[in-house]
Amino acid sequence: MKRFTLFLVAVATMVGVVSLIAAARGHTDGEPAPTFVTEIPQGYRDWKWVSSAHEAGKLNSLGAVLGNDVAIRAYREGKLPFPDGTIIAALHYRNVASAENNKVFGQAQSFVPGPPTNIQFMVKDSKKYAATGGWGFAHFADGKPGDAAFMKSCFPCHAKTKATDLVFTRYAP
Amino acid sequence: MKRISFLLVAIVAAVGAVAYTSHAFGQGAGEAAPLFGIKIPPGYRDWKLISVAHEAGDLNDFRAVLGNDVAIKAFRDGKLPLPDGTIIARLAWSYVPSEENNKVFGREQSFIAGSPTNVQFMVKDSIKYASTGGWGFAQFKNGKPDADAATLKKCFPCHEPVKARDFVFTQYAP
Repeated sequence: MKRFTLFLVAVATMVGVVSLIAAARGHTDGEPAPTFVTEIPQGYRDWKWVSSAHEAGKLNSLGAVLGNDVAIRAYREGKLPFPDGTIIAALHYRNVASAENNKVFGQAQSFVPGPPTNIQFMVKDSKKYAATGGWGFAHFADGKPGDAAFMKSCFPCHAKTKATDLVFTRYAP
Repeated sequence: MKRISFLLVAIVAAVGAVAYTSHAFGQGAGEAAPLFGIKIPPGYRDWKLISVAHEAGDLNDFRAVLGNDVAIKAFRDGKLPLPDGTIIARLAWSYVPSEENNKVFGREQSFIAGSPTNVQFMVKDSIKYASTGGWGFAQFKNGKPDADAATLKKCFPCHEPVKARDFVFTQYAP
């Protein structure tokens, strides 16, 4: 009996250690829950193009929105909510006038991407990110993730487009 | 000897047929645009992104520039001139404010792609299009050629100021 108890304790300890390691691997900074994404998804620059946007004012950005294969399929089929595995990338650049293009056109009309400002991602995992509508949010400037306070502002803003599963960007045919 | 000649003729014919078929395949489907004889390349909407742009004024459009694999590789390698087989697609939409986005932002700031206007292609074939810098030009709207030969003749002179980048305005956005 004593031996069996010892065995049980050993098993329990092992399980505890393994789950601790798994938890540590999931989020490197020791946060209690994975509320946002801290790693840049691989190969995102090869993804297909969803649409573009220009934000005037303070942001003054030109953006390209790309989607992985799961995202593109869902967009084209008009499938909502987006399935788990969907990743949407928003590449943002400073909106700059192209002097070269304007010279050719003979008037000031052309705006092109300037230096990259940041890259944002939305990662769909309905279990992992259940508390934020199934979406994990990410923001990287110079490869560095946004801080927790900043990241907390993503979900409440996206929650306003609940009819399109918290995604603002529509597919451009 | 006669037999060998016959075999050779058969082989040449077979190779010719295959080459012709693959050439036709590369040209895509539907009606060809005038002047350069370019058809819509199949699958272009799946190509990778080179960059985006906004033209204000009369055009008032939003653009996405996509490239086939040959184009993307050359852009990323910084290789000039762009090799034969390069195809660059320029997709354009009307440039419209997004009421939905503006409501969320609490101010007028957001502009998005509205309805599609037209799609243009630049196809590199240094032999076929030798007289226009190796480039053939085409424009389509709703899947049909939408520019006559006279209009397409204006493409190359306009692209000439960017000869240093092989007549391509768009630069790769990292």
